[in-house]
Amino acid sequence: MAAKVASAALGAALLVAPHLLPTYYRSLALAILADVALAVSWAFFSGPTRYLSLATGAFFGAGAYTTAVVMARLPWPLPVVVAAAVAAAMALLVGTLALRLRGPYFAIFTFGLAELAKHTLIWYETGVTGTVGRLLLNPPDAVTLYYTVLGVAAVAVAIAVWLPRGRWGIALVGIGADEERAETLGIDTTRIKITVFALSAAVMGAVGGAMAPRWTYLDPQVFNPLVSFQTVIMALLGGATTVIGPVLGAVFLGLLSETLLLQFRYAYMLSLGLVLIAVVLLMPFGLAGLRRRRA
Amino acid sequence: MNVRRRQFLKAAAVSAAVVPLLRTRARAQAKPIRIGYTMSATGPYAVGAGITQAPNYTLWQDQVNAQGGLAVKGEGRRMIEFVSIDDRSEIETAVRFYEKLATDDKVDLLLPPWGSAMNFAIAPVAGKYGYPMIGPTAISGKFKELALPYFYTMLVQPAPQMQAVAAMLKDARDQGKIKKVAVAYVNDLFGIELNAATGPAFRAAGLDVVDTKSYPLGAKDLSPVLKGFKDAGADAFVGLTYPPDNILVTSQAKEVDWNPAVFFTGVGTAFPFYRDRFKGAEGVMGIAGWNPKVKYAGAKEYFDAHVRKHQKEPDRWASAFAYASLQILERCVGEAGLDRPKIKAMLDATEFQTVAGPIKFAKGENVATPGIVGQWQKNEFELVWPKAAATGAAVVPKPAWA
Amino acid sequence: MAQGGGDRSRGGAQAGLGVTLSPTLLLDVVIGGFTTGGIYALVALGLNLQYGLMRVLNVAHGEFLMLGAYVTFSLHTGWGVNPLLTLLITGPTAFAVGLALHRLLYAPLLAGEAAESLESRSLLLSFGLMFVLQNAALLIWSADLKGYSYLAIPLRWLGTVFPANRVLAAAIALALGVAFYVYLRYSLTGKAVRALMQEPEGAQLVGIQTSRIHGLCFGAGLAMSAVTGSLVSMLFELTPFMGLPYTVTALVVVILGGLGNMVGCLMAGLLLGLVETAGVYLASSDIRLISSYAVLSLILVLKPSGLFGR
Repeated sequence: MAAKVASAALGAALLVAPHLLPTYYRSLALAILADVALAVSWAFFSGPTRYLSLATGAFFGAGAYTTAVVMARLPWPLPVVVAAAVAAAMALLVGTLALRLRGPYFAIFTFGLAELAKHTLIWYETGVTGTVGRLLLNPPDAVTLYYTVLGVAAVAVAIAVWLPRGRWGIALVGIGADEERAETLGIDTTRIKITVFALSAAVMGAVGGAMAPRWTYLDPQVFNPLVSFQTVIMALLGGATTVIGPVLGAVFLGLLSETLLLQFRYAYMLSLGLVLIAVVLLMPFGLAGLRRRRA
Repeated sequence: MNVRRRQFLKAAAVSAAVVPLLRTRARAQAKPIRIGYTMSATGPYAVGAGITQAPNYTLWQDQVNAQGGLAVKGEGRRMIEFVSIDDRSEIETAVRFYEKLATDDKVDLLLPPWGSAMNFAIAPVAGKYGYPMIGPTAISGKFKELALPYFYTMLVQPAPQMQAVAAMLKDARDQGKIKKVAVAYVNDLFGIELNAATGPAFRAAGLDVVDTKSYPLGAKDLSPVLKGFKDAGADAFVGLTYPPDNILVTSQAKEVDWNPAVFFTGVGTAFPFYRDRFKGAEGVMGIAGWNPKVKYAGAKEYFDAHVRKHQKEPDRWASAFAYASLQILERCVGEAGLDRPKIKAMLDATEFQTVAGPIKFAKGENVATPGIVGQWQKNEFELVWPKAAATGAAVVPKPAWA
Repeated sequence: MAQGGGDRSRGGAQAGLGVTLSPTLLLDVVIGGFTTGGIYALVALGLNLQYGLMRVLNVAHGEFLMLGAYVTFSLHTGWGVNPLLTLLITGPTAFAVGLALHRLLYAPLLAGEAAESLESRSLLLSFGLMFVLQNAALLIWSADLKGYSYLAIPLRWLGTVFPANRVLAAAIALALGVAFYVYLRYSLTGKAVRALMQEPEGAQLVGIQTSRIHGLCFGAGLAMSAVTGSLVSMLFELTPFMGLPYTVTALVVVILGGLGNMVGCLMAGLLLGLVETAGVYLASSDIRLISSYAVLSLILVLKPSGLFGR
């Protein structure tokens, strides 16, 4: 009961935040919400199935670049919807191949995806369209962007809450526990895996699409493998098997990074690295696990 | 009340008590001028930022503060205080911090970050809050498309630059020193724009371009490209390159035993590092803008001061323009105060004299500096084209590799 | 001996964007591919040991390459030490560091609770390590581009030209890789390592000390990375951020060759180098990486456990 009240209060606060917060804090909230969306959508697939996906950077980038291409021609928020669709299509394409791989092979293959997407895009853009990079003129205003990202994050959380409650949720856990056994029990693991993977990708693409207008100019460097790592880290920090875990992880890492960046202007990477190492060694179940431990 | 809650309240009380103490201390001196920016200290942009921009910002601050501070019209001198962070070469981080600088910290002035990609993202933010910004490392025709009233670019844009290269090559060809040109360019915005400008410029000059090849950022082996050019009989190489590929292409040209009469590598050639790496790089040409021998006031002094403070030389192109952009700002603040619209009006109307020569902005673009080609000769990057701005004559053919 | 160069624009079959096929071109591609591939193979071997044996995903692997490169750079430009000699310093030092890191960071991780999320948590740990190492290098050497020239002499052979330093670096990398493979195959420790890789539980039953072997392998992996870095420093410029692309390539090679398979790793590295070089010659340079991934995808479709995996 307390959890429901708290969630409602938080939701209300997030809704009014852009009108109350000063610009910088609103931007910070927006960035953290984007991270929450990424971490949560990563976790609702990779958490139960134990398929360590490092494809986040590829889907995020695909969404961002898609928005850059279509934003001038479509009213907001349609570019974000298109971005989600493109990322999902990419996931369906790649997933049919990648999800045949197990464990470490899957992780590494997905990691390379961002690089592959980048080079394919460069090749296409320079060869076919003759330019590289897109300018985003006349972006939507900051408050609209905030609500867009909030919406995407809400969708991600909603999926993360409802997915485990259905049959597919149980199937996903089964896939994570013992995939072959799940198949012998008659579960269509391929269909479920690929669909949820694509769903996760759609959210990541939407996040990329919603953030892109902030950067004015996008080029294929937007496919950044580091985004993949950071997402996993946020989810793991918080605890990948719960819904609240990735949220906590994203908020914690977001606030910590920002604080360290502002305090230790130039030794920030060092301090962040040390914090990460400490967290891994001292908190095996992540932040969400802390609560479990006390109980 | 549990232990943790008590500790928190204690900490809060102490902080609350300390803050007023800090405030009273500051009020005693004249308020410093707060200038905000982000600089890439980590990530891929850190290399360029560390050579071209960061050292000039701190050098300028030292020099101005040594005189008692920046002269502000009607207020006397006020010390410069920088408010800056490492943007980690991340666009989102930079955007957020500039928003903070403008709205939360409410700094007096803003300086730009390094590189075109960053400037694309930041220029609209600065513009939104009315901060004039002069970018010494922003080169792209697309800035004009953005039509930002508060953003000014210092460096010569791709078209005039390649016209200068074309003219220099035409001159060499007319003297019978070269016949065939080969072009290689890096596959990102800068290389592509330069290449797009090269086509028409070289055609207009009537040059015979036997081959044009592109390569991806981060390529590890350009010898196939070079071998192909050598086999095609090219005797003028035009590389529209960046560090580190301008270094790669130079070392590989030596390795494949190719020494064309003209060897031009775009950006990074003007770095002292390049000269030292190739034992003088005698005869190599590149995009240039400045050297300590130019006749503009303060050029040699700037060079010496940079070496004294940073134990390294400024690069022979954008470094001087970065410093020049600060000189311009200094003059504007001296004559228009910290009133930002007045500073903008002055930027639009005035011709400034700087260590990099005269600078005049038309619609946000510096139109006073021509495209310049430089060549390393006896350890200095002489300006060899156009003849009007030259500090030395072009040496063609290039001597053998050291 | 005929000069292959002049004939290129006339004789021979056409391929890709106007490049003529000729024996010289083939030689160019093969030697070029081997020089790139040898380096890939060595750095991947190190990662293979760690990942294959301990399921520890060390994304900071490339950072040790970076550090090896910088140490060689400093020793060569500061004290005039021959870069090849520095391998005797960077290798053993990295090995010792690896032993220490294993003891301090990874052994507790492997032994602790939540062992099922080992892969993810080792990823997190190594990510933190990556940040620390990059920042440390930044503070020590600054972000300015650094490099030196060593043996940048053209070698003329069979009508085409190769740089002596690249050929030498590749030869050393391959020699080390093969030597390591031989060690694994025939020494007692090597057999213990392979036993642990194939049958972790069975190996322990016959008395093989897991933790000690893990430590040795972690150290050996880092040593290989550092030595590759020393070799790389002879060829390319250094920045504190040069490590990650090598980690990425190493991961690709490891998967191509099959996790835990040393021979597979060596061959996959060479194959990747060949494919990349061929891609550059026969088509536009961007195709280079796309072709690498196309090859990877194709192989994984046909054989999900890698070219040589079981």
